[in-house]
Amino acid sequence: MLTAPRFGLREMEDSFETLNVFVNFGLPLLLLMAAYFIGSIIEKNHFQSIRKREDDLHGFPVVSFDTMPDDWRVSSSDMVTGSIVISLDYFKRVIAGLRGLIGGRIKTYEPLLERARREALLRMTEAAREQGYDAIFNVRLETSRLANAGRDGKGTAGVEMLAFGTAVKFASRFG
Amino acid sequence: MKFIAKKPREGINVSDEHPLVEAGTLIVGLTAIFIIIALALIFIIEVALYFVSTETEAELFSGWIPDDLVTVSPADERLGQAQSLVDRLARHWAETPYEFRVEIDDSDVANAMALPGGLIIVTQGLLDQVESENELAFVLGHELGHFRNRDHLRALGRGILLSLFFAVITGNDVAGLGINASDIALRGFSREQESKADAFGLAIVHSEYGHVNQAARLFERWDAADENVLGIATYLSTHPQPADRVERLRAIAERDGWRTEGQVTSLGWQGR
Repeated sequence: MLTAPRFGLREMEDSFETLNVFVNFGLPLLLLMAAYFIGSIIEKNHFQSIRKREDDLHGFPVVSFDTMPDDWRVSSSDMVTGSIVISLDYFKRVIAGLRGLIGGRIKTYEPLLERARREALLRMTEAAREQGYDAIFNVRLETSRLANAGRDGKGTAGVEMLAFGTAVKFASRFG
Repeated sequence: MKFIAKKPREGINVSDEHPLVEAGTLIVGLTAIFIIIALALIFIIEVALYFVSTETEAELFSGWIPDDLVTVSPADERLGQAQSLVDRLARHWAETPYEFRVEIDDSDVANAMALPGGLIIVTQGLLDQVESENELAFVLGHELGHFRNRDHLRALGRGILLSLFFAVITGNDVAGLGINASDIALRGFSREQESKADAFGLAIVHSEYGHVNQAARLFERWDAADENVLGIATYLSTHPQPADRVERLRAIAERDGWRTEGQVTSLGWQGR
């Protein structure tokens, strides 16, 4: 039915309107708060884990040179990779969507991608160390978006961050 | 070259603004912007109304009926009686450009509405509830008031423009909060229109019967049935609260010295 001035719905209207407002405002806000609290706990824990593992790996050379430094004498090499698939939470998505209306830094995505980058590098480095390598050079980072099948492929289910490089075993470290 | 191991530096790629601060700024700011745009659109409609004459409107919408309206059989005796009641009432609005048509909608919710081209729709639910012709006359007079104030075109224009605007915005399904907020912000206008229509309806009833007895009975009954527990419904509603409407009508009758006692006419289809 077209919008038209009406005489006034009876009885139902008050409770209906209150319910309507709850569904339109209360529910999204509640979801937003829940998503924020859960998401921020997960993020905090992830950053803690990242920092701790970075400390553990401290001193392991991971460099982006595309040729090996001259003073590296190596006995074996192999490609190592580390990848992470990470998803946004409802809070980040909503805030980023609002940001998308006016433009600017999508600040809610920045820590998410920071986590992805560092986690991918960590996984790559951990893989290299596990296999007995001493250093990685020619390190590169790649991202790809995972489309969400649910919305005709238009939505984003998450992003993959892939770190890869050439791991080497030193014949004798630093010459 | 010597390799010196360094830890990743923090705080370069990540903003240190608290996410909730950003969320709050964005939600409040965008809501405010939406409300301003909605007000601007309403202003545009007011301007447009000025250029659309009632003659043009009557021409455009003559014989028009919404597609999704489920009407009762044309043979229904209530239809003819409601139509002749409207015709009688419309005589008191001398310069009316409309030829009013009445249709009865097959809905159980008590309601009535004014649509472009002088189309008045009353629901079955309303006809079941009114207990006298005077009550029904006030409802119909109220709708005539909407025609006189051109609220029916306003509602149409707002419906189209606002939904168009928000359809563009909601391409990415997140602006719902702002849309609903501006919708609610605009209901103050709506309540004002309803009060004006009420006043016009009461004047019509007075001209027809010479008194305003029972005109507000419907509201009195609704008010008794209502429970506005939280009190917020007052601000959320598109219409004033029934008790306020009764009170305002009483004040108008008192101000203009209209009689509140008088012969009540019963409706033809109800038990004589």
